Amino acid sequence: MKKVFLKMVLAAVLIFTASTGLAHTPLCSCYDNGDGTITCEGGFSDGSSAAGVALRVVEKSGKVLIKGKMDEDSEFTFERPSGPFKVQFDAGPGHVVEVEGKEISQ
Amino acid sequence: MKKIAAMLLGLAVMAMSVPAFAHFQMIYTPEAAMNKGGKIPVVLVFTHPFEAGHTMDMGKPEQFFVLRSRGENAPKKRDLLNTLKPITWQSLINSGKAWATTYSARGGDHAFCVIPEPYWEGGEGHYIKQNTKVIINVGGEPGAWMAPAGLPTEIVPLSKPYDRWTGNVFQGRVLCNGKAVPGAEIEIEYLNHKPLLDKNAFAEEANATAPQDAFVLQTIFADSNGVFTFGIPKAGWWGFAALDLDPSYKYKGKKCSRDAVMWIKAVDMK
Repeated sequence: MKKVFLKMVLAAVLIFTASTGLAHTPLCSCYDNGDGTITCEGGFSDGSSAAGVALRVVEKSGKVLIKGKMDEDSEFTFERPSGPFKVQFDAGPGHVVEVEGKEISQ
Repeated sequence: MKKIAAMLLGLAVMAMSVPAFAHFQMIYTPEAAMNKGGKIPVVLVFTHPFEAGHTMDMGKPEQFFVLRSRGENAPKKRDLLNTLKPITWQSLINSGKAWATTYSARGGDHAFCVIPEPYWEGGEGHYIKQNTKVIINVGGEPGAWMAPAGLPTEIVPLSKPYDRWTGNVFQGRVLCNGKAVPGAEIEIEYLNHKPLLDKNAFAEEANATAPQDAFVLQTIFADSNGVFTFGIPKAGWWGFAALDLDPSYKYKGKKCSRDAVMWIKAVDMK
């Protein structure tokens, strides 16, 4: 009896963690607009909005070059930095997506 | 002598078979679910896909557009009609006028929609007009795939059309002028010959062999809510054509079968 109960609790925990985990998988893709700017589009695998989510453009050293937030369309546009960089889409702990600057094309 | 007899028999079989195989308006692009955005080829071909058979001449479509949606953003419509370039598509037995374009896809859902010029099917004495939709996705972030695109006749997916494993079911609802069509007849064909976009032709090699003619073109009916369900037996593109949804519809004074077509692509679980 005890064992069955434990199993049920475990199953419930697994289901709960699995579904929240999946629902909040963050996604971010960046595109070169061909005019010296880059647009990053953020979102989640369940289709929920990323408006207001933090986005940072950082140098290799970790220095933050640009700090912004996704707009109401879950987008953020910035000027392409001259040196190497990466984009961090930060939807909270464990929910950070990094995009390498050199992988961003049209 | 034997050879000639076999050829005659072949011709006779082909001639008898043609009316039984369905016409399918295709909007074809190689992938339905892409990891990265970029330029993708899109072709419009009006054909008999299982057999890569008789390909009909398409006129310039009345409308060709894409609805892009991402997350909770409202879908954005982009007219693609003037990007179309005429091509000649080679089937295994003939060639037909078709259309091609390239499209730059960023993240989210892209619902390609074509409203073709009605096709005069002399053999059957009526026109055919197949409003067709294909929904692809870039990056896994869904958009408004479940929302009607607003076509006069339309299949609206109840299952995400680009996330089907082989063996899943696909469900859709058949609409005409925005209303469900109870008991709609739906024909289903498998895209059995790979479209070769560098040659504007179907590959000769077939992926599957039908043991008998009935399997070339499968038939199901929608339920009283206009909803149909199909179990997907094989990876690749599957076309669904809901037929004659508005039986009194006429074009240039003649009967016109007003159809709704949708294509989905299933992927093997590996």
